[in-house]
Amino acid sequence: MALRELKVCLLGDTGVGKSSIVWRFVEDSFDPNINPTIGASFMTKTVQYQNELHKFLIWDTAGQERFRALAPMYYRGSAAAIIVYDITKEDSFQTLKNWVKELRQHGPPNIVVAIAGNKCDLSDAREVSEKDAKDYADSIHAIFVETSAKNAININEVFIEISQRIPVSEPGGGAGARASNSADSPPRAAAPAADDPPPKP
Amino acid sequence: MRGWEDQEDASDRCTRPPGELANGSDVAPGGPLTLLDRLRLCQSAWAPGSPWGRDGAFAALWGRLPGSFLVLSDSSSQPQLLCLSVGGSDQPVRDFPIQRTGAVFHLPESHLGFSDLVQLVAFYSLCRDVLPLCLFLPPCMYSLTEQPGQDMSLLGPKFWLCPSPDQKLDDMSMRSTGITMCSIQVTSASGALCIINPLYLHEHGDDWLRPAPRSQSSPSGASQTANHKRERRLSTTRPWGGAGLRRLRGLSLDQELHDTPPDGSMSPSAPPPASPSAPGGVVLRRASQPAVCDSFKRRSEGALPVDSRRFSDTPQSPHRVSWIEEGPALSPAQHHAHRLPLVLADKMKNRLSAVGQAFGGLVSPQKRLNKRVQELSERKGGAFAEAVRAFVGHTLGGDAHSHPSATEMLQEVRSTLTRLKEALYDCLEIQVLIDGLGDVSDWELDAMVEGSLHKATLKPVSTHLYTCLREYRSRDGSLRQLRDNQQALEAQDPKGLGGTAGAGVPDPVTLERIQQRWASMHEAYSPSKKVQILLKVCKSIYHSMSANASSGAVFGADDFLPCLTWVLLRSDLTSLQLDTDYMMELLDPTQLQGEGGYYLTSLYASLFYISSFQPRLATRQLSVEAQQSLSRWHRRRTLHCNQSRRGKTRRTIRRHVHSEGAGPRREVGPADEDKPGDARGGAGTEAPSGGGAGALLPTAPEGLEVLGEEEGCREAPRTGSRAGTAEPVVCPPEGGQGEQGSAREGRGIPETAEKHEKERSEGREGEKEEGRFREEGFADCLWDGGTGVRGQAQVPQNPRTTSENLLGWE
Repeated sequence: MALRELKVCLLGDTGVGKSSIVWRFVEDSFDPNINPTIGASFMTKTVQYQNELHKFLIWDTAGQERFRALAPMYYRGSAAAIIVYDITKEDSFQTLKNWVKELRQHGPPNIVVAIAGNKCDLSDAREVSEKDAKDYADSIHAIFVETSAKNAININEVFIEISQRIPVSEPGGGAGARASNSADSPPRAAAPAADDPPPKP
Repeated sequence: MRGWEDQEDASDRCTRPPGELANGSDVAPGGPLTLLDRLRLCQSAWAPGSPWGRDGAFAALWGRLPGSFLVLSDSSSQPQLLCLSVGGSDQPVRDFPIQRTGAVFHLPESHLGFSDLVQLVAFYSLCRDVLPLCLFLPPCMYSLTEQPGQDMSLLGPKFWLCPSPDQKLDDMSMRSTGITMCSIQVTSASGALCIINPLYLHEHGDDWLRPAPRSQSSPSGASQTANHKRERRLSTTRPWGGAGLRRLRGLSLDQELHDTPPDGSMSPSAPPPASPSAPGGVVLRRASQPAVCDSFKRRSEGALPVDSRRFSDTPQSPHRVSWIEEGPALSPAQHHAHRLPLVLADKMKNRLSAVGQAFGGLVSPQKRLNKRVQELSERKGGAFAEAVRAFVGHTLGGDAHSHPSATEMLQEVRSTLTRLKEALYDCLEIQVLIDGLGDVSDWELDAMVEGSLHKATLKPVSTHLYTCLREYRSRDGSLRQLRDNQQALEAQDPKGLGGTAGAGVPDPVTLERIQQRWASMHEAYSPSKKVQILLKVCKSIYHSMSANASSGAVFGADDFLPCLTWVLLRSDLTSLQLDTDYMMELLDPTQLQGEGGYYLTSLYASLFYISSFQPRLATRQLSVEAQQSLSRWHRRRTLHCNQSRRGKTRRTIRRHVHSEGAGPRREVGPADEDKPGDARGGAGTEAPSGGGAGALLPTAPEGLEVLGEEEGCREAPRTGSRAGTAEPVVCPPEGGQGEQGSAREGRGIPETAEKHEKERSEGREGEKEEGRFREEGFADCLWDGGTGVRGQAQVPQNPRTTSENLLGWE
């Protein structure tokens, strides 16, 4: 069975639960002997998808504003990005939109974007309606789920959907090769034509 | 498991008249019996049936010779139990369960498995492995040969457990000493000792153990052929299953080392009278001594001629324990010497498990690969050696002016490394070696080949590369900038750096340890090794973060990056910056997506954060200067248009490499400008800028320069602060929008004049676009998102541009 390594980048404001989502996703397979990652900033998990094994290499980023400029170093070469916001914080949703735009313009072309509205267990304090978020996600053709890392809701689903949207690997070329190609090749010149500017919400 | 029996059968057939069963249970009367045969014959004696329980066995073993044992199988569900008299005062008898996994018998703590109980017992009578001592086989067992008619099935534990400890001692020790040969395969290759797990043979067969085709099928002359066999076994040409052996480093061996009493009670000169049956253990404990050798010789040649002939056959027997030991006596010239068996027998007197080190050395495929690559790189007239020599000469011949930037210097090194690695993979000798490694993933293999290559290529040049790196970095002022900001930021606690309150920071002791690690990272020449050390540091940081945290707290990058930054601010940033450049560019690109790549990126990002840090206050004060530089840039840009070759995108793209004034950078700028565009835009050769973290000066060969209105102001302090050395680079939008900058990106390809004109006419369109992005509160990020030789772990092309992006978000 072919193994594909998929780099997945986590973006979103600090405190929205990026690392908790990864932790939850990796948790059930977490065994210090098998998964020798140093910390939750970088974790891996391998899942089977159809006749392939997808090994997710999950790169967490620091969400603080001061570190935003560093994000490109992290999302470069990613096959997918999970942008996380906190449904109880409107601000974090606005930040998410900025991330979407940045990825559209500077991220790897064809990057799969997933939007995760985290903390859906705290619906009493909700500030971002699910419908608004869903509409926005649809308008940019992004995966959308509301998640709860705390209650393990929809965590696996995010990754399953990412697996589904990852283009089928060309024979002879692994995900890594593809990812690096996509990062390297298409010049930004093509961007205006290829990337529709995201509609304003 | 292709077992002992198969082999035993094979060798028995050689020595016995045809037509007889080779199986030990049906032996020709008077014929010589092997240890296994004997054990099998009297199995009912040492493994009595159901009436015997644990208590009964304990009672029967009480006070017996240490090493006396019985094997019980009282319950079908329960595996057999080995009850052993250990001779201690507090617990004279102990029991050890014998587990059965599939067809394999083994002691739980041991990694050695056997296809049946007899083999297990035979082995542990020769080598104690995880047991406190060897099993004692009573001398009466050896009398079985002489009484073939005896009904063995009637023998019971009484027969087995000799009543008297001192009876027949001499006789027994003589015999059992000879038998030692039976269990050990002596093999010589690469000069080390190894023990082969029967399970390994079970899985992989033992063809690799055997010398080429076995032509000794003829029953006649069996003993000679056996000798030949052994001699060939001793040759060094046998392919070696190194990868499989790595798994064999079992718990049992390690334990052995620790469990062994350090005192001299097992010295050969004074064998403890209480354990006469442990000659294997006793004698083998010691290094070769002439006396032992002589006595061994005498025994094997004289005392039991028949048996010893059989034993000489036993290397072929599948006891599956073999070793190779390096020593003067085993020099290749002596391999076929007549007295070899005796030398080896002498060698065998080391406990198997006492040779862990030699074992490890043999098993490390990395070392063998290193050795081979080193040989190749030194071979006179070899293509690979020539290439390495050329690389080293060329690299050492260059200086900090040979390349436009440190990045390009390192990239050239990296591309040479990649070519050399390809050459290695194509090399037949390496292929053979790799094939011998067995089941190694491509990723591991690549890492190993890289490691060997680093040794041959980077080791000679790393010091020089560092000298050049330092000069590049000093020249562009980035190291000074880094140190200045270090001072400015040093007082910040992790919270001030953006971390959350819950995460701890390394205590002084840990911090000291981290400094030592940084130092060793700096020393290492191999980028892979450096990354390994970096990972250790990151691990320490993580430990410190979670030391006082509430359980269940998950620390991601939100906490790690501030903490790493905090640690860096207390470290030697100059060395770290150079190390980071070195690793970033020289690490095998395929290794960049994994954990090492992640933490290297974090290190890079953190250094970048420090070097680009700007206090707000200064920003405002210097905004006027920034505006001035903007207009200066505009003027110059017009001039440079004529030098441009082509523009690829409507949206304006600008190189930012422009120097003005008396700054040392000047030599870089113009040279860069004159370079043909294609050489610069260079098809995927672009990479993280050498100016990278820390460099505020646009030394990167490519970059994007844009400033929005706001950005212009905030940018000012930085541009202003270095106005003395370099022109701030600001790219106003096409169409004469004055100092209102706009986010733009560049691919570093100078436009031709015509293209530029065209661009002008399209300027309006571009403006609109830019306006929209600004309106949305989003300034274009200025790093080049689309090019770069590295697919992953990319870094901004230019630190400044990234800062602008940061500001643009606000």
